[in-house]
Amino acid sequence: MRRTAIVFSLAACWVLSTCKEQTPTSGEKRPALKAANEKITICLLPKKKGLPYFSSCADGALQAAKQLGNVQLIYDGPTDGSPEKAASMIDKWTLKGVDVIAVSPNDPNVLAPAMKKAREKGVHVITWDADGVPEAREFFVNQATAREIGYALVDTMAKDLGGAEPDGEVAIITATLTAANQNEWMKYMKERLPTYPKLKLVAVKPSNEDQKLAFQVAQDLMKAYPNLRGIFAISSVAFPGAAEAVKQAGRKGSVLVTGLSTPNDMREYVKDGTVVSVVLWNTLDLGYLTVHAAEALTRNKLKPGAASVEAGKLGTKKIVGDNILLGNILVFTKDNIDQYQF
Amino acid sequence: MDKGRDWIAEFRYWHESILAALLIALLVAARLADPPFFSIVVQTELSTHVWELALLALPMTMIIITSGIDLSVGAMMALCAVILGLSYEAGISPWVGAWLALLTGVAAGAINGVFVAWVRVHPLIVTLATLAAYRGIAEGISLARPISGFPESFAVVGRGNILGMPIPGAIFAVAVLLAAVALARTPFGRSLYAIGNNEAASRFSGIPVTRIKMWIYTISGAAAALAAILFVARRNTAKADIGIGMELDVITAVVLGGTSIFGGRGRILGTVLGVLLIHETREFVSWKWDKDELNLIVIGALLIVSVLLNSFFSQREAE
Repeated sequence: MRRTAIVFSLAACWVLSTCKEQTPTSGEKRPALKAANEKITICLLPKKKGLPYFSSCADGALQAAKQLGNVQLIYDGPTDGSPEKAASMIDKWTLKGVDVIAVSPNDPNVLAPAMKKAREKGVHVITWDADGVPEAREFFVNQATAREIGYALVDTMAKDLGGAEPDGEVAIITATLTAANQNEWMKYMKERLPTYPKLKLVAVKPSNEDQKLAFQVAQDLMKAYPNLRGIFAISSVAFPGAAEAVKQAGRKGSVLVTGLSTPNDMREYVKDGTVVSVVLWNTLDLGYLTVHAAEALTRNKLKPGAASVEAGKLGTKKIVGDNILLGNILVFTKDNIDQYQF
Repeated sequence: MDKGRDWIAEFRYWHESILAALLIALLVAARLADPPFFSIVVQTELSTHVWELALLALPMTMIIITSGIDLSVGAMMALCAVILGLSYEAGISPWVGAWLALLTGVAAGAINGVFVAWVRVHPLIVTLATLAAYRGIAEGISLARPISGFPESFAVVGRGNILGMPIPGAIFAVAVLLAAVALARTPFGRSLYAIGNNEAASRFSGIPVTRIKMWIYTISGAAAALAAILFVARRNTAKADIGIGMELDVITAVVLGGTSIFGGRGRILGTVLGVLLIHETREFVSWKWDKDELNLIVIGALLIVSVLLNSFFSQREAE
C-alpha cells in the first residue's frame, strides 16, 4: 500500500507538471522595456511588514501607483522581519516575472544572492530606505544623505536653543559605537558644529539600541555636565529613552533633546514640551519616489548614469552616482506632528 | 482482529492517504488557478525553501515517536552556522568548516541526549533550556554579526544540481530512505515505538532506552548541522539569528504527518507528506496573494486539521 501511495502521488505530480509546461522566466535576459500604456508590476519589500513606519511608506507608494496608472503595486514583506523570508519573497517574485522589485534590505548579505539572481532573470532591482550590496541593485532611493541628516540635527538644535549665537554644552547619545549610519551622521554633525562657535560637544556615549541604557546614559550626562544644554539622541531607540530621563529629572526647558525617531514614538514628549523638534524624512514621499523611480526604470525614462528623475508631485529629483535623493528632511514639531500617524 | 471487519478498518494508511489526497487536491487547484506556479522551473526553485525544514523533520519524527521533543533544532542550526562562519573567517576552508559545524551539531545534540537520557529531565525542559543557551552562544561568539563572502565553489552545495535534482534534495532523498528503513525495518526502529508506548516496560524488557534516546537527540543535532551547512551555502551568510521559530514549523510538519505527540505512533512517509503539504500550501498562498500574514493563519489552520485527523484516527485505533 505504501509503495502504491508513493508511486501514485509521484505520478500525479509528474503528469500535472508536464501536461503544459509554462515557464514565466527562462534563461538570462535583459530587462524588457515597457511601452507607456503597458501594465507593469512593482513589488515593494519593507524590512518588516506591519511597522507603522513602513506602512506609511506603502501609503505613499500606493498613491504614486494610482496616479501613474498601469502600475500594479504589491506590498509585502516578512511580518517577523526575517531576512530569509525576505529572500524567499524576492525568489518568488523573480519566478513570477514581475517588472521591478524595490527592496529595503533587512540584511544586505542574505538578500544579495536573491537580488542578483532577480537581475540575471531580467527583473529591475532597486533599494529604498536602506541600501543593499551595490552590485545587487541598479539604484538606491536614498531618503536623506548622511550630510543632510547631520547638518539638520545640528541646525535644529541651534534653532531650538534660540538666540543669535546659541551657546552651551551638548552631548550625543548614539546607537552603538560601531553603527555605520550613526557614525556617518556624527561625522557631518562635527563638520557642522563650528558654524555655531559657542556650541561645545562634550561627550559621545553609546546606548547599544537599548532604551533603558539610553535613559541611564542621559541621566549620567546631566549629572556629569551640570551646564548641559542639549542632547542629540540619534537613534529611534535612544531618543525616547533620553527624553524620558530629561522629563523625570525635571530638566524640561533647561536640557533640550533632539534626534531621529518616528512621530508616534515621540508624540507625548513633543506635546509636553520636553522635545521641541523631531528630525526625520517624509516617509510617504519616500514610498512615492520609490514607485516613480521603479516605473521610470521600466519605461526607459531612467537609465544608469542619469542625473535626475521625474517624480510626479515631488518634481525633479537629483541623482548622485546611483543614489536617487529624496532630500527633504522633515522636522516634526508641536504644530505639525498630528498630521503624521506612524 | 476478527474476520467481520472489512479492509477499511484494517487499512493502516488512512492518515497518509488523506494527506496525499489533500496534497493532490491542492496541487490540482493550484494548477487550475495559476498554471505558472506548477511549472518545473518554479517548483524546483521554490523547493529550495523547504530542505532545511525537511531534513530536521526526520529525526524529529523519531524523537516524537518516543514521546520526546526537541525544541532546540533552530538554535542548533544557528550555532552550527556560526561555527562554520567563524572558522571560515579564521582562514579555514569552508569544507573543513562544514566538518567542524557537523561536530558542533553532534556535540550539541549529544548534550541534549545526556540530559534527556541519563539525567532524565523532561525533553521539553532540556531543549527549551538549550534552545536559549545555544542561541545565546551563537550570538555571543559571533557578536551577532553576519559573516558572508563564502567562495562560489561552496555555494554549489546549496544551489547546485546533481542528476537534475537540487543537491539538498538529493541529500534529503537519501536521508528519507535511511530514516524510513531504520524506523520500519530495524530493531532500533521498533524500540522507538516501544519506548513511546511504554518506557518503563521497554526498560524491563531489555531495550537499551538510554542509549537509543542518546542516539536520536544526537542525530537531531547532526541534522541541524547539515541544515545549517545547506543554509549557509544557499544564502551565502552565516549568522546567529537563522532558524528562529524553525522548531515550530518542524513539529507542525511531523504532527501533521500523523506522528502522535504522545508517542508510539508515526511514520516517515507521513512526515514527508506533512512537509510537502505545508510547503506547497505555504508557497501557493504566498504566490497567489502576496500577503505574509496569511501564511501564519494557514500554518495554524493546518495544525488544527492535523490534530483533528490525529485524534480521529487514534480513537478508531482504540476502538
